[in-house]
Amino acid sequence: MTSRLRPGTGGDTVVRVEHLVKRYGTVDAVRGIDFEIMRGEVFGFLGPNGAGKSTTIRCLMGLLRPTAGRVTAFGLDTWTDGVAARRHIAYLPGELRLPDRLTTLDLVATVGRMRGGFDVLRREALAERLQLDVRRQLRDLSSGNRRKVALLLAFLADADLLVLDEPTTGLDPLIQHEFLALVRDARADGATVFLSSHVLSEVQCAADRVAVLHAGRVIAVGTVAELRGRPRQRIEAWFDAAPPVAELLALPGVADATVDGLRFSATLAGPVQPLVDLLARHPVTSMRVEDPDLDDAVMALYAAHSGDAGAGTAGQRP
Amino acid sequence: MNPAALELVALPVRALRRGAVWWAIGLAAMIALTMAFWPAFKGSRVIQQGLDMVPPALVQAFGLQDFLSPEGYLRGNLYAILVPLLLVLAAVSAVGSQTAGEEAAGRLELYLAQPVDRRWFFLGRGIAVAVAVSVISVAVLVAQVASNAIVDVRVDLGRLASTVVLSGLLALLHAALGFAVAGFRARPPLVLATGTVVAIAGYLVAALFPLSDVLAPWRHLSPWDWALGGDPLLHAAEPWRYAALVVPTVGLVVLGMRAFGRRDVAAA
Repeated sequence: MTSRLRPGTGGDTVVRVEHLVKRYGTVDAVRGIDFEIMRGEVFGFLGPNGAGKSTTIRCLMGLLRPTAGRVTAFGLDTWTDGVAARRHIAYLPGELRLPDRLTTLDLVATVGRMRGGFDVLRREALAERLQLDVRRQLRDLSSGNRRKVALLLAFLADADLLVLDEPTTGLDPLIQHEFLALVRDARADGATVFLSSHVLSEVQCAADRVAVLHAGRVIAVGTVAELRGRPRQRIEAWFDAAPPVAELLALPGVADATVDGLRFSATLAGPVQPLVDLLARHPVTSMRVEDPDLDDAVMALYAAHSGDAGAGTAGQRP
Repeated sequence: MNPAALELVALPVRALRRGAVWWAIGLAAMIALTMAFWPAFKGSRVIQQGLDMVPPALVQAFGLQDFLSPEGYLRGNLYAILVPLLLVLAAVSAVGSQTAGEEAAGRLELYLAQPVDRRWFFLGRGIAVAVAVSVISVAVLVAQVASNAIVDVRVDLGRLASTVVLSGLLALLHAALGFAVAGFRARPPLVLATGTVVAIAGYLVAALFPLSDVLAPWRHLSPWDWALGGDPLLHAAEPWRYAALVVPTVGLVVLGMRAFGRRDVAAA
């Protein structure tokens, strides 16, 4: 792994969010959150719409002034030392609005001049990986292609920290796959990646650690493995004969069971192996196990922290 | 100037380029058309008799005094209201689109996430508007000089240039007001309304207050009076008139920059 020169005095902590509060009028979008992103990691930022993900990120980018608390990147306060901090950050906005009258090349040149220049060979290689025609007018591009332009700009900057807010919205599966490869490459080059998404699978694939936001609070921070262990999976099984309901309900972690003829469905919050063993002893014609979607994960975590006004700390670093 | 700083001006200049060209063509065409009627007006007794029937105060209010002289014709038809007002509209709409308009549309976020100072970024937009207004003003001057030559109107070039410059500065003052408003709030209609309403109110103060003995002294509150109150087509404009327009313009730009640097950037 390449070791990059890091600015400031942040040490191994690249981003530090301390007691961050952001209030719009009487609405608290972010309610006093704390977390850290460490050097070289891919940090996932999960939460439903309105959880405060983009608000936190816009504070990190110096676009919003924190009502209380502070955000630092590389030891630099992103509000008072925003210009210095942003020299080391590349950003892909969640709500992407690009100028209409430029081509991708024009936009890359413009942003390049603001950042001190981009490598042309790197630009061409990235455009090829993203299957992007850089000579077309931005107004003629589909929303997916516009997202590719933003990805191109973010990865072209060769920044120490990539801040990606909902980066794959509107992308086809092929490019989503390529995006994950780009994230892996960036990390291998020593960059830190802050990846905000409401697509759990995407974060599961890419992130080392994850923070889950709900209603402006961090309700859990931990490794992906720790967080994946928490939420319930949906299980469905079709039997040749009547399902062994009593045995199924006796399994640890089975809940919300329904039986519809030969079909049994439930949620499973416990280990999978006992279920597999049980099904192996019965004539199962078909089955499906669905990973939890984000709502399940967030709701499960939220339920677990419903009496806790503060942050969850699964594996949270000091 | 380093490439990053230059880009902060070049980017909005490119965005305003097309609009500025259309404004310049429109104003030049209007001037050419107006001047094409000069031969018909020159020395017309019918028109003079008509003007004689209008109360002198109203003639003064609408800049129609000495209407059949070359300077009076230019003032009454173009430089008392129309050219300055259109320059104000061009400047205010340009500043509205490049500041609050772009911000409200979410198109500034990508740029402001780069390592650029917010205040200088915003100033770049203001400078771009000044460049656009300058281009339009030069087009006005060139069109006027060319039209004068074609229809044989002889007006002092220095005073004509001074009148156009004062009109341009008047436009920039109102643009600066819009710029300051945009610094506080990303509301395009508010920017446009503030610049336009203040311009119209200022014109009415400068034009109508002199009709009343009580209100007449208050006409000096109007930027229109500062710019054009000395009848610059006939009399060389005093230096304070330029300063009276430039100083508050600079102050409003600084105010807008500071305000923009201290507030949240609007999301799309």
